[in-house]
Amino acid sequence: MSRRLISGLSSLCAAALLASGGFLRCAPAPPPTSSPPSASVTALLGGDDPGGFARAASPRDFRFPDDHGPHPGFRHEWWYFTGNLRAPDGRRFGYQLTFFRFALSPAPPVRESQWGTNQAYMAHFAVTDAEGRRFLHFERTGRGALGLAGATARPFRVWLDDWSAEGGKASTLPIRLQAREGKVSVDLVLDTARPVVLQGDRGLSRKGASPGNASYYYSMTRLSTRGNVQVEDGTFPVEGNSWLDREWGTSALERGQAGWDWFALQLSDGRDLMFYRLRREDGGTDPFSAGTLVLPDGSSRLLSFDDVRIETVEFWKSPESGARYPSRWRLLVPSERLDLEVVPRLADQELRTAVRYWEGAVGVHGTSRGGPVEGDGYVELTGYGETGGR
Amino acid sequence: MILRLAGLRFLSRHPLQLLFGLVGVALGVAAVFSIDLANESARRAFRISSQTVTGKATHRIVGGLSGLEESLYATLRRRGVIRTIAPVVEGYARVPARPGITLHILGVDPFAEAPFRNYTPGTSSGADIPRLLTNPGTVLLLEDTARRLGISPGDTLPLRVGLETAHVTLTGFLRPGDEVTRQALETTAVADISTAQELLGRVGRLSGIDLLVPGGSEGEKALSRIREILPPEAEILPAGARGSALEQMTRAFSLNLSALSLLALVVGMFLVYNTMSFSVLQRRQLVGTLRALGVTRGEVFVQILSEAAVLGAAGTVLGLPLGFLLGKFLLGMVTRSIGDLYFTLSVREVSVTAATLFKAVGLGTFGAVAASLWPAHEATSTPPRDVMRRSAIETGVRKILPAISAAGAGLIFLGAGVQLVPSRSIPLSFGGLFSIVAGYALLAPGATALLVRGIQPALAFAFGTQGTMAARSIPASISRTGVAAAALVVAVATTVGIGIMIDSFRRTVSDWLDHSLRSDIYVSSAEGRRGPDRTPLPPDLIEGVSSAPGIHRVALVSRRTLESPSGYTELFVMRIPRESLDAFRFRGDSAGEIWEALRAGAVIVSDPYAYRHERNKGDTVRLRTDRGEREFPVAGIYYDYSSDQGLVGILGETYDRYWDDRGVDSIGIRLSPGFPADAAIGRIREIAGDRPVLIRSNKSLREASLRVFDRTFAVTNVLRSLTILIAFVGVLNALMAIQMERGREHAVMRAIGLTPRQTWGLVAGESAVLGLVAGILAVPLGAAQALVLIQFINRRSFGWTMQTVVDPWILLQAVALALGASLLAGLYPASRLARSSFSRALQEE
Repeated sequence: MSRRLISGLSSLCAAALLASGGFLRCAPAPPPTSSPPSASVTALLGGDDPGGFARAASPRDFRFPDDHGPHPGFRHEWWYFTGNLRAPDGRRFGYQLTFFRFALSPAPPVRESQWGTNQAYMAHFAVTDAEGRRFLHFERTGRGALGLAGATARPFRVWLDDWSAEGGKASTLPIRLQAREGKVSVDLVLDTARPVVLQGDRGLSRKGASPGNASYYYSMTRLSTRGNVQVEDGTFPVEGNSWLDREWGTSALERGQAGWDWFALQLSDGRDLMFYRLRREDGGTDPFSAGTLVLPDGSSRLLSFDDVRIETVEFWKSPESGARYPSRWRLLVPSERLDLEVVPRLADQELRTAVRYWEGAVGVHGTSRGGPVEGDGYVELTGYGETGGR
Repeated sequence: MILRLAGLRFLSRHPLQLLFGLVGVALGVAAVFSIDLANESARRAFRISSQTVTGKATHRIVGGLSGLEESLYATLRRRGVIRTIAPVVEGYARVPARPGITLHILGVDPFAEAPFRNYTPGTSSGADIPRLLTNPGTVLLLEDTARRLGISPGDTLPLRVGLETAHVTLTGFLRPGDEVTRQALETTAVADISTAQELLGRVGRLSGIDLLVPGGSEGEKALSRIREILPPEAEILPAGARGSALEQMTRAFSLNLSALSLLALVVGMFLVYNTMSFSVLQRRQLVGTLRALGVTRGEVFVQILSEAAVLGAAGTVLGLPLGFLLGKFLLGMVTRSIGDLYFTLSVREVSVTAATLFKAVGLGTFGAVAASLWPAHEATSTPPRDVMRRSAIETGVRKILPAISAAGAGLIFLGAGVQLVPSRSIPLSFGGLFSIVAGYALLAPGATALLVRGIQPALAFAFGTQGTMAARSIPASISRTGVAAAALVVAVATTVGIGIMIDSFRRTVSDWLDHSLRSDIYVSSAEGRRGPDRTPLPPDLIEGVSSAPGIHRVALVSRRTLESPSGYTELFVMRIPRESLDAFRFRGDSAGEIWEALRAGAVIVSDPYAYRHERNKGDTVRLRTDRGEREFPVAGIYYDYSSDQGLVGILGETYDRYWDDRGVDSIGIRLSPGFPADAAIGRIREIAGDRPVLIRSNKSLREASLRVFDRTFAVTNVLRSLTILIAFVGVLNALMAIQMERGREHAVMRAIGLTPRQTWGLVAGESAVLGLVAGILAVPLGAAQALVLIQFINRRSFGWTMQTVVDPWILLQAVALALGASLLAGLYPASRLARSSFSRALQEE
């Protein structure tokens, strides 16, 4: 999915923001007061030279479990876990645990020192406590060296410090997620019977007209999840569903693109919907916007930009950044007779990290083929908060 | 008003007196100010640079001698014990193209830096970090530093790290947030930790891990959780304590310089005293008249003191720029000495702080006022009628001379007694020294009078009536001559004291070098460099040298600095055969017994170590080994003058049991009898190749060691010269004052038939007698000063035991100095007198 903007930003976070305000402003806690505006998406991506890196130019054969592991020749890559969980007493939690990998140069340097590497990692960890009306988020960075951060396919593992996603000894699944920051933590086990969904054209997800401006993208859209979530007032046993997005590439943002709105919804009729709307600077929708509808049996159907209609019903203005985010949507897929209302569990799920964006748990209700349907999901909104962009 | 005018008129009519008074204050202030500047600048540079490197860290995990295993950092991170930790790899590199510039290489992990240091790349260029990470050998420097080195981003800079040549590429600039940080970073190159490891040859190791833990019980809990994970060789040290332990090392060094500079100021104050008392004397009739007219004592007193204050202030104003220039010059010497003795320090600019300025101004002004208290008292305490009579003063002074002498003796006893107080306080010793000096100065007039009377017959015999007259005139005007003599005595004695001290010390070191340098050839990695950045010799070199032809035996030694919560300990690791132990001089024990104890795992400690840590044979020392803390019995105490912090000597075989490092810093080679040293040196040079290894003969190492010694005392010698200069001006001033004052007396002599030549001879003779007497009197005080400096102050400051060597040459020099200065000082008044018309002098009355 086109979190590549994030990645773009983030790789520049690794580059620019590592460098700004001290070595690294990507400090564990969000900046206490109004921090300087994050760098502009377009400005940051504009001058970026992808020369030398591997590109996602054509469909490829995905091989698992190897492709669960890192692809260090590409400039960026991520393991994006999000999920909606519920405690026995009905208390709802959302969580996000994302590992970003950035290659700072196309080839690994030949170094005597074990610290030498061209691989940098960043991770975001967020918990949405819907009842407690709290959104807690944290950021870490580290180098892909010395075991400080890294990723492996066999056995499956991606980690940064003591935050990790770890597969079983013999198979990738089940995956155990562990992250802790102070009194906030998750310890979850994720498993599924559904097969991996290749997004776009056999896993090649195009984000613009120029060749290579694409990424390899697959998802595991419904991972049954159980474990514990800890927030300040206690630890809660939870159950629910998670979603994993895996993407890697070297693409840069096309001229005229401002950001995206990304939806990942798990519906009670057993279907999962992914759609990303690439927004143009002029406010329109980029024709490269696309999505996928996954059926309960794991089969999927591509959705093009004119298959889906999204209306913003409400807006929310961040008191911190001043950015105005859409905050309630009506999402229509007429061909599938889907008419959904998407409502954030909390208005404020803005990650005030080095790159500022909104990523939050949402609830869904509406109709599917005439019958009522509900669901959970995650929405990501980028390109709203940065100065210089939109 | 009249008073003030009178004061001004007087001084303007005696410009030379004024000038000398000013010079006295100026030189004294310059001495104190310059030493203060040099000391303070060095201290400040050290402090800000260590604070800047420490950043916000509260603690640092340090390892054994080779630092920490880098995996410890990853373990701490992965266990998630504490998030605010950052690895550091530090070291030093020289810039061959710019001799004298040593760069501090600071290797950090940019990903962990944010909570700690804030001067790393600013917001302007985001490209710095990826380049630092991915391009080997890239560093950041201050823009100023880069300019000074003549490089801009993208350029490479050749460096020398230990024996190796390396290249770094400037990739961007450091952006310090403030001026202090900027100063602290002037010779710092920040690199990614990978580059620092490779550059400094420390791949796989960390110099330390910085920690930022909260205060209170939460922090304590975090620390104890970290301790559980630490390997035995690691230790958590509070960040502040580390810096101050280093700073502490140089404290005695700075203190000694400060105290000696104060001595120069004291000598300077004699000049002020002289000037003021002379001016009072000259105006005694005026003062008497004014007093008779109803001006109160208080008014006269205040007037004299305010004149002194003006003089002091003016002298200070002259002294400050002089001191500043001198301070700049001395700073280089002080920094060099600190580098020779303690640690690498880079200071480029003198920093004038309010405190140093205040101290210098205060000492100059108040010193001048204090020095004028007595003359002012004298002018006001005698009845107006008597003030107008010269003889009254002399009678008065002669009356109280016994009391003054008694007070002097009392002060001397006090000063001597203070030395015997079983304390290790350096200021106390210096206080005692000043008390002795002051007491002796009080004793000087009386002693002068006595001595002169003693040599009077000899003078009478040699020069007839004139000789008698010259001799008699001194006790006759003892209120003046006494002070001049005291000033001269103190000044000359100070030069004697410092001279004997340096001489004794040098002789002690030289004897020690003779005794301990038993090898024919020495091979070492770095010259005079200490601490963790000391580079070991490459193993192939050691092997090659050991098996070269003509080698009778080799001694491999290394010095290692252990860091522990209680400070730093220098370890002297000896991989030596039994015979080499004969080069040590032990307190009491034989080398044979000690060898057995050493082989059994004991250690030997150097004399300064034993003194500082109060250890005796049979006690134990606690050392932080790679296996944790261990106790080692002390087998003996040996004399050593290479480290004032003291050394703990340990045999290689014992060391290897507790430490993992196997580095060797230097090799001492004993050649087979008859084997030519040149051939052996040639062979070693071949083995060393183009690696910059120092290969020195016994003689050249000895010379190099003494050069370092002389460098250490360069500042002291500057102070000594300054004191001599002030003393000289002082004598000039005092004698001129006396002779001018006695203008009428001499005129009378002329009138009754003395030829100008005879008058000249009389005046010059007086000066000579005074100089000679003062020179003789200076000798005991000088010896006493030397004794205090050597036996107490140096022992307390540096823990050294020194022989006291009194070179008669120094004593002769001192007498000659006093005599010469007096004669020179007598020349001008004498010739003026001889030329002047006595009738005019008489008319002036």
